[in-house]
Amino acid sequence: MRPSSKGFAVLGWIDGQLPWWITGPGVGLCVVALYGLVNARLGVSGAWLATIAPMEGWRPEPWRKTFLLALVGGSIVAALLGPPVVVHGYGRLSELLPPVALIPVLLLVGGALGYGARWAGGCTSGHGMSGCAAGSPDSLVMTATFFTVAVVVTLALNAVTGGAL
Amino acid sequence: MSRGARWSVLAVGAAFGFLLTVSGLGDYDTIHDGLLLENPYIFGMMASAMAVAFAGLAVLRRLGRTRFAGPLALPHARIERRHVYGGAVFGVGFGVGATCPGMTVVMTTTGGLYGLVVLVGLLGGLWLRGRVERRQRQPLSIEPLVPVVRDLARE
Repeated sequence: MRPSSKGFAVLGWIDGQLPWWITGPGVGLCVVALYGLVNARLGVSGAWLATIAPMEGWRPEPWRKTFLLALVGGSIVAALLGPPVVVHGYGRLSELLPPVALIPVLLLVGGALGYGARWAGGCTSGHGMSGCAAGSPDSLVMTATFFTVAVVVTLALNAVTGGAL
Repeated sequence: MSRGARWSVLAVGAAFGFLLTVSGLGDYDTIHDGLLLENPYIFGMMASAMAVAFAGLAVLRRLGRTRFAGPLALPHARIERRHVYGGAVFGVGFGVGATCPGMTVVMTTTGGLYGLVVLVGLLGGLWLRGRVERRQRQPLSIEPLVPVVRDLARE
């Protein structure tokens, strides 16, 4: 899956990346809105967790799946309005690793994200944004931990690969 | 779930997915460069999101009630070991893959089909943690663990 020159743009209204001072406050307002409207803590890992609830024999709160569907829908709309959608690889990671090595690595990446999020009770959105904004101590600690670990891991990868990553 | 609540969740979810996508963070290099402390985008976005949400919640606290689900109940949970351990495991995934559960969706919809591989791993990881908890005879973790959403669930 290398970048190709051909793309698929339906509208191309949004050109590239919007600045952080639009997207950041925007997602902050989403957090406030979900609390203020339905008293719920916005979180994506909880939404994914709801999809495996039937396998585990429990019933998730009904809003979780609605939220996940809307999230995917909103993302598809943005992708269609944005720059041409091009099937591409995994940035510098896929330049360094062939698919046969990249796929197991990405399965482990996903596994760590899922395992850690459930263990901690939330991810970047549930703890990082919604919980921290509410000043919940568990969220502040979880967020500080994962950001610190992620920076250390990334700097280590950069050093080990001689700057390739 | 009442009609108003359902539409609210749909609107907020769609806006959230839209904003995550136009942030361009579905791209490995943007988050990776952020974690290398070479690109401030992710920190600017997180900090401004928290600041706006913090200010918005101050207003909500004054109102004290929600539109569709009764009195406002914000999460406030004490720190336990699992927040550090889980956060560390999550951080390893975040560091190596430069993605998170929300960004994986965005990566996939913008053509990064490897996002689907991460997603399979994510579901596997969620399941595996549940299995471990069951073996340890703990109650299953179903986030959030604070009673924020009980009122909504009862409808």
